[in-house]
Amino acid sequence: MKYQNQEVSNLISDLLETLADTIQDGVFPEIGYYGSSKKNIQYSSESGYTHRDANPSFVDGRKVESAKTIAGLIYGLTRFKEHIDQGMSMSLRDFYYMHKVKRVQDVLKIEHQNETNRLINLSERILRMQGTSVPREEFGVVSSPKGTFYGDLTLSDLSGKRLNCTEAGEYGWFISSRPFDVTIHDINIDAAIFVEKEAMARNLIELGLAENLRLGIGSLFGQPGRNMRAWIRKLSDNEVPIFVLVDMSPWSLRIFSTIQSNSIELANIRGLASPETKLMGITTQDFWSSKGMLSGIEHSLESMSKSDIKCAQQNRNIPAINENTVLKRENEIMLKKKRKGELEAFKAFGLPLTELRTLYVSYIKKKARAFDVKLI
Amino acid sequence: MLSSEKTTSDIVELSISSWFYRNRTIAGFDNPARSLYVSIRELVENSLDASESAGVLPKINVILDTAESCSDENLGIASEPKIFNLTVRDNGTGIARENVPKLIGKMLSGTKFMHRQSRGTFGLGGSLALLYGQITTQKPIHIITGQLGESHFHSMTMKLDIEKNRPIVIDESTIAKNPSQHGTQISYSLQGDWFRSKRRIVDYFNQTSIIVPYASLRLETPNGEVHQYMGVIEKLPPHPKEMKPHPKGIDVELLKSMASITRSTNLRSFLMNSFQRIGPSTADGFLDYASLTPSTSPRDLTDDEFVKIMHSLSTYSKFTAPSSNSLSPAGEKVLIAGMNRLNPELCIVRQRAPSVYEGHPFIIETGIAYGGSLTSGIQLYRFANRIPLLYDERTDVSSRVIRELNIRSYGLSQNDPLAFFVHICSTKIPYKTIGKEFIADVDVIRREIELGFKDCLRKTGELVRKKHRSQKKLKRENKLQQYYTFIAETLSEATERKIQSDRLFERGEY
Repeated sequence: MKYQNQEVSNLISDLLETLADTIQDGVFPEIGYYGSSKKNIQYSSESGYTHRDANPSFVDGRKVESAKTIAGLIYGLTRFKEHIDQGMSMSLRDFYYMHKVKRVQDVLKIEHQNETNRLINLSERILRMQGTSVPREEFGVVSSPKGTFYGDLTLSDLSGKRLNCTEAGEYGWFISSRPFDVTIHDINIDAAIFVEKEAMARNLIELGLAENLRLGIGSLFGQPGRNMRAWIRKLSDNEVPIFVLVDMSPWSLRIFSTIQSNSIELANIRGLASPETKLMGITTQDFWSSKGMLSGIEHSLESMSKSDIKCAQQNRNIPAINENTVLKRENEIMLKKKRKGELEAFKAFGLPLTELRTLYVSYIKKKARAFDVKLI
Repeated sequence: MLSSEKTTSDIVELSISSWFYRNRTIAGFDNPARSLYVSIRELVENSLDASESAGVLPKINVILDTAESCSDENLGIASEPKIFNLTVRDNGTGIARENVPKLIGKMLSGTKFMHRQSRGTFGLGGSLALLYGQITTQKPIHIITGQLGESHFHSMTMKLDIEKNRPIVIDESTIAKNPSQHGTQISYSLQGDWFRSKRRIVDYFNQTSIIVPYASLRLETPNGEVHQYMGVIEKLPPHPKEMKPHPKGIDVELLKSMASITRSTNLRSFLMNSFQRIGPSTADGFLDYASLTPSTSPRDLTDDEFVKIMHSLSTYSKFTAPSSNSLSPAGEKVLIAGMNRLNPELCIVRQRAPSVYEGHPFIIETGIAYGGSLTSGIQLYRFANRIPLLYDERTDVSSRVIRELNIRSYGLSQNDPLAFFVHICSTKIPYKTIGKEFIADVDVIRREIELGFKDCLRKTGELVRKKHRSQKKLKRENKLQQYYTFIAETLSEATERKIQSDRLFERGEY
């Protein structure tokens, strides 16, 4: 959902005025919001994690700790408003350092960024428009851009410049920190593949797969940030089939599920889940089924560590994994076999580069076809 | 084996002073450092007794000076025995001229078999101190004393004939005085070691000032320092009454002595006239229990019969407990005044009901001081019959009680600034040694101390918790105000109008 800057600025002003009037009237403020408790979160395979206003929480200004929270919140809102009005952004770290202003530090005594991050999260929950939270990006708090996208897709980002993602740099366009505000002009790709590891994504681009298969290739750089998830959602909303290539490990199942279903913590932020996303690989079937394309390199699999096993066991309690047939099966097989594989396993075939390219092409085509997406 | 000839030629009769001369270590005069401390202590305690007997607030001035001049004054007092001049002056009743030689220059023991709380154990301490001075310096004692109403002080110089236990007056004169003046000043020389006894003597004055806060004490040391403790309360504890002995509190020797001087002609009246808590029916009951003939004359009893009576006295269970009229506890006001000399934040004092130990009544007073100028950790101050007990603290019964207390269950901790005070007053303090340094672990006394401390701890814990609560509340209010001042400033800036948080705190609804 896209908001106008002025709308958010006015929303903050109204909130500050209300708080000012309350205090001026001699009444301690009490601020209600919906937290990320179980009652406020619901999961469905169609929409991932979504928020519902079931169980409100309150910040009671008569309590010392709550008064501190309200003081931090009000100070933060004034900073957000100023940044919106000036068309400036700030990072989470910037916001933390704004609390090191002497007069602020003397009162609030903030010692860790966790505390200011929590204030930002609270601001997202308190600032609501049309019944939903306003994402922090809308009041100027953005993460450092993380993730790239390469492919024949033309867009205009916050710079206002029109660009094609194959011409934006060696490995494509750096995903904007505010994908909601990006305008897509032209899409000449049949699907987009998002790869967990930057090295493999780079190889696919270097081998010309983007051009030859009319693919968009994104590099997640590990766990995708909010901007990447919002970008994937934007592509998905534009009818681009989305595939994800991740390691065969319990951790990577979480990466995939976050893209597909969002997370419990950010369920209040809309536009971060892409339920149509498909897990392309690498999967347990690739190694252990008779027709698995990677069965020849099963020997490259490694044993799961104690923390891997613990992660897989905890996955059983994550609705987005446990209630998804594919992810649940992958998780259980890994737990049973206690082995894990990485994207780099393709290199274990020891093929010449031309044959490796053929292997990548046939792997991607075969997997896409399994999801009814035909690549040229 | 000794032959009869050898017996008559080698063995001589010893007077009490001669006996002390040969066995002075038993009474604490075993080295120059300890002797100096014990001498000062004994004379100060005599002076306190004299002033309290006169019913006046004690004013005691002690001046200790070196008799020999130091070769290098910058070096201070050397750590070796030296001769000191000691002067102790009080505002007590004074001594009648005729009593001065026998009270000061002779070792005496009373003949009245009465019990009363007193600082001394045998009543000889002061005389022993003077005798020690004469033994170590061979110099005479100077005394100036005068009583209320007299027109002059009596000034006397005298020595003690150790072998014959007899005073020798060397010189005597009078000094004109105002009839309202009274008191005694004793000056004499003695050997001592100030360097080694200084801390002990100063400690003694510090702690004495706590248990007798109504007294003004002044100590002038050989270093030229003056330690002065002005009286902080004008209230003397009631003077203890003399009481006859309780039948459970005597021994065979005392019983024999009492029988030898009694005017009673039969056992029944002897019991009633010589002991407290024995009336006609108790006397008859006891005589019947002991199978004694009431008409027997006490003077006709044989040693075996005394032993038998003593045994019966100790086993007879129907004697009423001894009276506590012979005791003089310090009382709450006096104790608190004394404890306040340490500048604590709060003081709690409890006085236990009278109890009995081996036929002697005793009262335990306990106190706890908290916070203020007290240092972190537990301090123990022990007193017995209004004298401080300074040493062997760990072996004292009170120490054991404190070690076994669970301080945490009262909301306090071992690191809190806590001072424990215990005062035992009795006609017979169960000292474990002759040095009057620590109290023996007697079950009934330990229980009373424990209950007293626990009572104080309960109240102290309650007050400390209350204090913490109010501190916490104040801290919370300050924090809230700080946050809302900040909020008001921030909102004023953001809304461009003056926002004030004062009204939030007007109704106190937070």
